[in-house]
Amino acid sequence: MSLVSGPGRGGVAAGLPQELSLYMDKHVSYIQSLDRRKDEREYWLTEHLRLSGLYWGLTALHLLGHPDALPRSQVIEFVLSCLHENGGFGAAPGHDSHMLYTVSGVQILATLDAFDELEARVQGGRLKIGQLVDIAGLQDAETGTFAGDEWGERDTRFLYGAFNALSLLGLLHLINVDKAVGHIQSCANFDGGYGTSPGAESHSGQVFTCLAALTIAGRLDLVDQDKLGAWLSERQLKNGGLNGRPEKKEDVCYSWWVFSSLAMLNKQHWIDGDKLANFILQCQDPQMGGFSDRPGDMVDVFHTCFGLAGLSLLKFPGLIEVDAVYCMPRAVTKRCLSK
Amino acid sequence: MVNYSDDPKWADITPIPQDDGGPHPLAAIAYSDEYSEAMGYLRAVMAKEEHSERVLDLTEHIIEMNPAHYTVWLYRAKTLKELNFDLKTEIEWLNPAALKHLKNYQIWHHRQTIISQLNDPAGETDFIDTMLGPDSKNYHVWSYRQWLVKQFGLWKGEEGQKELDWVDGMIGDDVRNNSAWNHRWFVVFGCGEENIRDEAIVNREMGYAKAAIHKAPQNQSPWNYLHGIIRGSKTALSSLKDFALQFASLENPDDVHSSHALDLLAMIYAQDEDTKEKARQAFDLLANKYDPVRKPYWNYRKETLVN
Ligand SMILES: [Zn+2]
Repeated sequence: MSLVSGPGRGGVAAGLPQELSLYMDKHVSYIQSLDRRKDEREYWLTEHLRLSGLYWGLTALHLLGHPDALPRSQVIEFVLSCLHENGGFGAAPGHDSHMLYTVSGVQILATLDAFDELEARVQGGRLKIGQLVDIAGLQDAETGTFAGDEWGERDTRFLYGAFNALSLLGLLHLINVDKAVGHIQSCANFDGGYGTSPGAESHSGQVFTCLAALTIAGRLDLVDQDKLGAWLSERQLKNGGLNGRPEKKEDVCYSWWVFSSLAMLNKQHWIDGDKLANFILQCQDPQMGGFSDRPGDMVDVFHTCFGLAGLSLLKFPGLIEVDAVYCMPRAVTKRCLSK
Repeated sequence: MVNYSDDPKWADITPIPQDDGGPHPLAAIAYSDEYSEAMGYLRAVMAKEEHSERVLDLTEHIIEMNPAHYTVWLYRAKTLKELNFDLKTEIEWLNPAALKHLKNYQIWHHRQTIISQLNDPAGETDFIDTMLGPDSKNYHVWSYRQWLVKQFGLWKGEEGQKELDWVDGMIGDDVRNNSAWNHRWFVVFGCGEENIRDEAIVNREMGYAKAAIHKAPQNQSPWNYLHGIIRGSKTALSSLKDFALQFASLENPDDVHSSHALDLLAMIYAQDEDTKEKARQAFDLLANKYDPVRKPYWNYRKETLVN
């Protein structure tokens, strides 16, 4: 999946009509076209994100109701080619394994209902992914948090990643959930938000990761929900978009992180949903498909995924229901989590 | 353009082309530029686990082209360790690289590893100033500063005062810089947890926040800071009533200078049975006039006022 931005721009081509609609077919063909852009330099410069790119593209297609728009067997083949001996996934074949891509790999296999194919190819594959370095081995025994790789960079994103992937695999018991929950609590700030580590500035992306992990752990009772809800709802700007921190610009991806966090707290109605939908729709390229971060910028697959996920959570007609915690189709998480 | 295949220094290495993991068109390979050649040589040296000066040159070249490639950083760090390379030299190389790639976080992690091995923060705060020049809210830079403060105890004693003066300068430059406010909290209350029970410090910080609010009454950051102190120190909300009234009052509903002040007033009025009606009025003003985007939120707050 190419992470090359463009070719289109959100919202400017020929001007969007007054009454905004969702250009579903354009988005499907936009995502399909991404794999045909290998002649572009940026395609290769973004190779270190490839597996996540595939997750974003595939999720967008599923939410659009076109799950078969990418050939299933080829996708599985590629994902498995990124799997290492140690049970972790790299971003692309030949790249070191890393937590972020391990999560993407698991999410893709879950979405395609392909854990059986994984087992057929790698005996005990599920357990291997869960047990070995890339997830369970990366938990810090002292603080309960997680590193992204053997290099040791720590961030609540990795903690969420571990919770996400392990719960989908049905292996959450492999880690010390209580300790990890304690670490999340230590990242809570005086303003009600959460940062990457204790004391780090509150940031919508980190709020999402912390809340989603607490939701998976069933520990939302530890959150000062009114205070955090207030902080989250303050992220909406006059143009309807949401930002990541006070005094920063609105952005489609932050719109997802903030709005999904509000959804986990059951406070979606605290912001103006119509205005938010309108903002996201303005970020589409109506001719060539795709979403940008804000109107006027180049489209890319990352913002296309989160734009559609946001609209789905806003119950926009025609889209498949998304799971606010996993950013995957709700039907998929239901299937995985009920096992 | 750097060329490896014609360089005698690299003659002993056969580059390893991209392995796309099997016959699947989704990952078919079609690139052949400077970057792909360098990557071919990197794969080759990684395969033979070579750690040498020329590997440092090679990783430097690749990082210049694509600093987000995490595998390259990882291999460079290993090589530095194997060679027992002079880490001061490495930091000197990192400085311009970090300035060029402001949003890259591998650079910061790399830097943190090296500075902690050197066990000496000299020059780091100056470097941070340079980094914050083009982007004073850069999350990586602020996170790195926090790490530095914690790692080297820069929040205590004389160093602590210097840190406080510095962050005061940052807030002076831009009173709306939320990252700077967060850092102030980190230095004063985050590192020294007992400070929230020190009356003199609490009063000093409340005064600091209030002065900033006077400069820009609608600025969220100092209001959040003020509320954080009030909650942490268990100060009575009502003690802030006169302060809030300077920016908003129900007597002059058309002349409100801060929705945050109105919110604070509502909280104070909500505490007392006799003034609950006033709290309701304040929430109505917020919902209908001063912050209508969040109307449902203010209505929720109004509903929680139990009679
Ligand atoms: Zn974005």
